Amino acid sequence: MRYAFFVGCTALARLWGYETSTRKTAEKLGVELVDMPGSSCCGTTYLETLDEVTALAMAARNICIAEKMGLDIVTICNGCTEALTKANRTLKENPELRKEINEVLAEVGREFKGTVEVKHFVRMLKEDIGLDKIKATVDHPLEGLKVGAHYGCHMLKPSDVMLFDDPEAPTTLDELIDATGAESIAYPNRLECCTGPIMGVREDVTWSVGLEKVETVKKYADIMVTACPFCYLTYERCQLVSDHSPGVPVVHYPQLLGLALGLDYEELGLPSNKIDASCVLDYLEG
Amino acid sequence: MIEMTKKEIRIAEADSDFRRKVLETPGAENLMLCYQCGTCTADCPVAMRIEEFRPRQIARLVAYGQKERLLEGDTLWLCTGCYTCYERCPEQVKVSEIISALRKIALKEGVLHPTFRAIMKSIAEMGYIYEIDDFQNEMREDEDLPPAPEPDVDEIEAIMRKTGFLDLVEGS
Repeated sequence: MRYAFFVGCTALARLWGYETSTRKTAEKLGVELVDMPGSSCCGTTYLETLDEVTALAMAARNICIAEKMGLDIVTICNGCTEALTKANRTLKENPELRKEINEVLAEVGREFKGTVEVKHFVRMLKEDIGLDKIKATVDHPLEGLKVGAHYGCHMLKPSDVMLFDDPEAPTTLDELIDATGAESIAYPNRLECCTGPIMGVREDVTWSVGLEKVETVKKYADIMVTACPFCYLTYERCQLVSDHSPGVPVVHYPQLLGLALGLDYEELGLPSNKIDASCVLDYLEG
Repeated sequence: MIEMTKKEIRIAEADSDFRRKVLETPGAENLMLCYQCGTCTADCPVAMRIEEFRPRQIARLVAYGQKERLLEGDTLWLCTGCYTCYERCPEQVKVSEIISALRKIALKEGVLHPTFRAIMKSIAEMGYIYEIDDFQNEMREDEDLPPAPEPDVDEIEAIMRKTGFLDLVEGS
């Protein structure tokens, strides 16, 4: 299996552990992630709210690169997933907008053709690889490790655009956590937004929302697992700036999966997670 | 006293052209179906923590054409875009989309939150929301990662100019 790998700004610029663990777990599972030359920021969910045509054109430009490669796109950021999925779906389904966007793209010699799909890494694992194969490949199960999963909003919503799982009661990430031998634990308010997108408007609110969630997770689980760099940064940084940090390790899902597939703590970039996550090693079997 | 006056909706000051513009924005068409049940505010992660941010009030103020009140301060820029109100509104009013429509109108009037302006300028100038330079690429190499893709910034600027977006950002 081969995919065009759209990493997104945040992981590219500062969360190398997320990107490296994604690449290494993919390889272990027989998936080839191919870099997208010339790709840029997805356009962002911010831009969507400011100018529809520009947002669609920015996302479509990246999709055009994958179309030339002849590969479906795999993403690891929820924001990128939403921006690219929305553009891909809108331009496939709305011929008038597609014409308008292609007029913009013609300016830079590109054309959206509508020949590829966009999937979050988590969705690709579930739909294209399958839980059975993942479970069969896990040889170092993390028995006894309790995990608080945080999906993040844009993996699931808007649900009429994403068409993935149930936005009010999702199970995919939980199933993928359970597949590693760890146990995904239900906790109150687990679907609440990290509020990372307003970090630059009301930082105090983002930190307090983040702390509330990690404190809840601490009551029920050993670590928190995320699938979006923005959410990850919120839950990590809210603890780093707090005088009363609950010290809950935040781990990218591919790091957890990678451990269960026998990859090293170091090669999964876990030492660069700023809240010490070495407690997970106590649960490693095999 | 001033606070009380400010909280009145002044029908005489209603800007019906403003309401029309919001209703014409894709996604915001259902505004007039709002019966003020308050599901949006009750479930909003920001409204729970910030008293001034009330999605239900935003819907009502648009219906009454209260443009000035909506465009002042940080109100419009406090929506995280989590789509909780979008998913749960019994009338599919989708207040998140109303807020997006308001941001688009605000930008056309030269109003843009400084954080948003900075992010948009970064994308236009660097192709990313953050600078990714030699330092980042050296760190990436230490983690066994290839260099970050180099976006064609001329292409990105050309797209943003063609749509007129960059001119609006620069004029804000």
